[in-house]
Amino acid sequence: MNIIYVLIPLSVILMIIAIYFFFWAVRNDQFDDLDTPALDILDEDEGPASGQKHERQDGD
Amino acid sequence: MHQSASPCWHCGDPIPAGVDIQAEIGGQARAMCCHGCQTVARLIDSSGLGRYYEFRDALPERPELDHIEADDFIAWDRPAIYDHYARSDCDGFYRLTLVLENVHCAACAWLIRRFVGALPGLAEVRVDVSDGRVHLRFDPKRTPLSEIAARLASLGYRPHLDSPLAGTARNQTERRQMLKYIVVAGLGMMQVMSYALAKYIGAWQGMEPEAERFFLLISMVVAVPVCLYSGQIFYKSAWRTLIQGRMGMDVPVAAAMLLALFSSVYITLFGSGAVYFDSVVMFIFFLLLGRYAVLVARQNAGQLHSALARSLPVQTRRLNDSGSELVSLVELSVGDRLQVAAGETVPADGRIDSGVVMVDESLLSGESIPRRRVAGEQVLAGSLVREGQMVLGIEELGQSTALSGIVRMLDQARTYKPRMALMADRLAAWFVAFVLTGAAVSGVVWWQIDPSMALPVVLAVLVVSCPCALALGTPVALAAAARGFARLGVLISRPDALEKLPKISHVVFDKTGTLTLPEMRIDQVQTLKDFDADRARRLAGRLERISRHPVATAFVRFDDGGAIDQAESVTAQGVSGSINGVDYRLGKPEFVGQWLEEIPEPPGAGQWVALARPGQLLAWFSLDSPFREGAASLINTLHEAGLTVWLASGDRHENVVQAAEQLGIENHRSECSPADKLELVRQIQTEGGRVAMIGDGINDAPVLAGADISMALAEGADIARTQADLVVTGKGLNRIAAAFALAPRVRRIVRQNLTLSFSYNATALPFAAAGFVPPWLAAIGMSASSLVVVLNAQRLGRRSALGDGRRKTGDGRGALSNAGSGSSPSSVSRLPSSGTPQP
Repeated sequence: MNIIYVLIPLSVILMIIAIYFFFWAVRNDQFDDLDTPALDILDEDEGPASGQKHERQDGD
Repeated sequence: MHQSASPCWHCGDPIPAGVDIQAEIGGQARAMCCHGCQTVARLIDSSGLGRYYEFRDALPERPELDHIEADDFIAWDRPAIYDHYARSDCDGFYRLTLVLENVHCAACAWLIRRFVGALPGLAEVRVDVSDGRVHLRFDPKRTPLSEIAARLASLGYRPHLDSPLAGTARNQTERRQMLKYIVVAGLGMMQVMSYALAKYIGAWQGMEPEAERFFLLISMVVAVPVCLYSGQIFYKSAWRTLIQGRMGMDVPVAAAMLLALFSSVYITLFGSGAVYFDSVVMFIFFLLLGRYAVLVARQNAGQLHSALARSLPVQTRRLNDSGSELVSLVELSVGDRLQVAAGETVPADGRIDSGVVMVDESLLSGESIPRRRVAGEQVLAGSLVREGQMVLGIEELGQSTALSGIVRMLDQARTYKPRMALMADRLAAWFVAFVLTGAAVSGVVWWQIDPSMALPVVLAVLVVSCPCALALGTPVALAAAARGFARLGVLISRPDALEKLPKISHVVFDKTGTLTLPEMRIDQVQTLKDFDADRARRLAGRLERISRHPVATAFVRFDDGGAIDQAESVTAQGVSGSINGVDYRLGKPEFVGQWLEEIPEPPGAGQWVALARPGQLLAWFSLDSPFREGAASLINTLHEAGLTVWLASGDRHENVVQAAEQLGIENHRSECSPADKLELVRQIQTEGGRVAMIGDGINDAPVLAGADISMALAEGADIARTQADLVVTGKGLNRIAAAFALAPRVRRIVRQNLTLSFSYNATALPFAAAGFVPPWLAAIGMSASSLVVVLNAQRLGRRSALGDGRRKTGDGRGALSNAGSGSSPSSVSRLPSSGTPQP
């Protein structure tokens, strides 16, 4: 039973870390566009189609 | 109706008879309605982005044929633009935000990102679908802004510079801050609840006192910072209302939170008894969820305002010592002289130095017939030069123009609180006062009976009777309704209209531009001397290419893009030009007659224009305005709903009678001036009717203002100009019927919400005061009531709540294909499960 004295503070620390990373994500625009990323995943498995070719011509 | 079976693959409009345009998309030939759609579709396909047609779940507007080149935006490359609108990153990249027209769905965003992101030097392209903005980070040395803008425009997403003063940055900060509060409260809630659960279970099974003490302490360690951080907005808002001497609904909320929190801290540290850490955190979390929903809805409603920037031109030609240069509007100053030609919008208020123009001032005065203005007279920013050209001396710029004044007025009208919401606010204030008194009284009473029960009872009373559900009910329902309407393509500029819409008894339609399309159509072609009709159409299309007259809209689809020399448009007469060395004229019989021995007689009634070359009449075109798609079915639906339909038009008697017969409208008036129409509306109102006036929003502004509800049909930049309560975007009339169907649901749900929250509060309060409700149960009850109200309201925004809109099946074909027929197309059940990008 004594293990809770370790595990519970640990969970609190984990929560603080989670909050820290969430704040970091919010600051880095991760939550600004919730619409388009859902479509990107459909595009990636397209294989060597013309869309990919088009992208590669820029270096960024 | 001359319509072929399948609609345009790109925009979904019906393809008019005689048009045979195709584009190859993904290896298959697809029918297009015009060269504009063909160009855009080819562009999309050749960039390898043909999957747009699979992703999209809303149709684009029909793109204009204007050939867009980087030159159209060349002034955007001037340093002044970068100084004014862009932010420089130190590595040579610039950040800039553009407002785009016609962004409908996630597929648009995807298309824009792919298409623009492929340009060299673009580090970031982020599209915000909710407000139609694109945020760019790019290197102007590799791709100038003008090229990006031209690329966007060529897809049909015409860009506008975003004023740096706009509230987007503030909106973003607000949204982000709220997200942080919610996540902290949510994570904190999970933690504290798990400790509380352990404590409750421990209480049954027996728990070592030090373990119990530990759970108590750790609850406090987590709950106190979480409550202080996430609950800030409630404390601040309560404090603000208190120092203003008012009663807001946040006062009891904040009081309950702080009281529960600090009494629990006191009990944990010094005393014994129940603690409420779990209840407080949960209370805060659920309240925040409700607030977030309201915030997002409010911000989305604000997107109407950004349409204002669209009324002014992108660039203008300024005269200087050495000639003229294209400059952006931010570079102009009072006293500059500008050259403005036909088809351009006047960028600033000023006086004409030289030249004669016909200007369309519909934006400012509501008068759509172009006025003649000569040297010395004033022209206002936002007017469109229809014909002629002028040199203009600037007198007023930017914020001091008449246009800005109008826009400010519109904004004020739009931001005022709807009556329904005001009523709920007043009710809530009374309720708050009542609750605070109630809590105090029950606290005093219980102090006499059993001092240990006083605190739990006061808390329970405060929390259980929190009027959140009451105060949330109406705004959440209105916000959800606004979203539902927006999905139908109906924008709400005055939410009061939602309340009035179900009570309407009469609907008055304008004819031209409302029941009929604003564009004209060639009804018949009669050729003389065996001249080929198709050739006549193509010649006419080329001739009308340069014309801005409404008649030109009938011919533009037949323009084959071939060469034309000495093209000239003669005011109110017609057009002339030379094709393959032969001179042609197209226009009024008198205009064409100058080349013939006598003025020719049109072959029938209606509006006819003639095509001729010197000495020879070639063809007659009869023009009419086709009905909008869905006009007949809309009238049917309204009749079925028991409404009286009127047709009031400024058009000639026989045209109005004919239109009324075709659509089955029994009441009609012809040759009405706006004053006559207003008279009609007033007359119906004095007889006890409630009138909805449906017009094009610009010509009939006074009538719209006189009606109980006004609806206007508008597209693109016109949306910002209309004064109507409801603005129906795009071309179809189906949406009006859908709006009429949705409005009673809005009222029903607002009433349900008010009843629900009132009865919850009224029943729970006595129980709480009697001491039957522990604070944790009160917190659940309060949260549940708010949640029920919010979820109930969401039913309005759901897609299945909408009968029919511009939504389509996954392959991009569907709903609009049975255009103009009586049946109501049902696309809802066939929607792909993946396509619901609603935040």
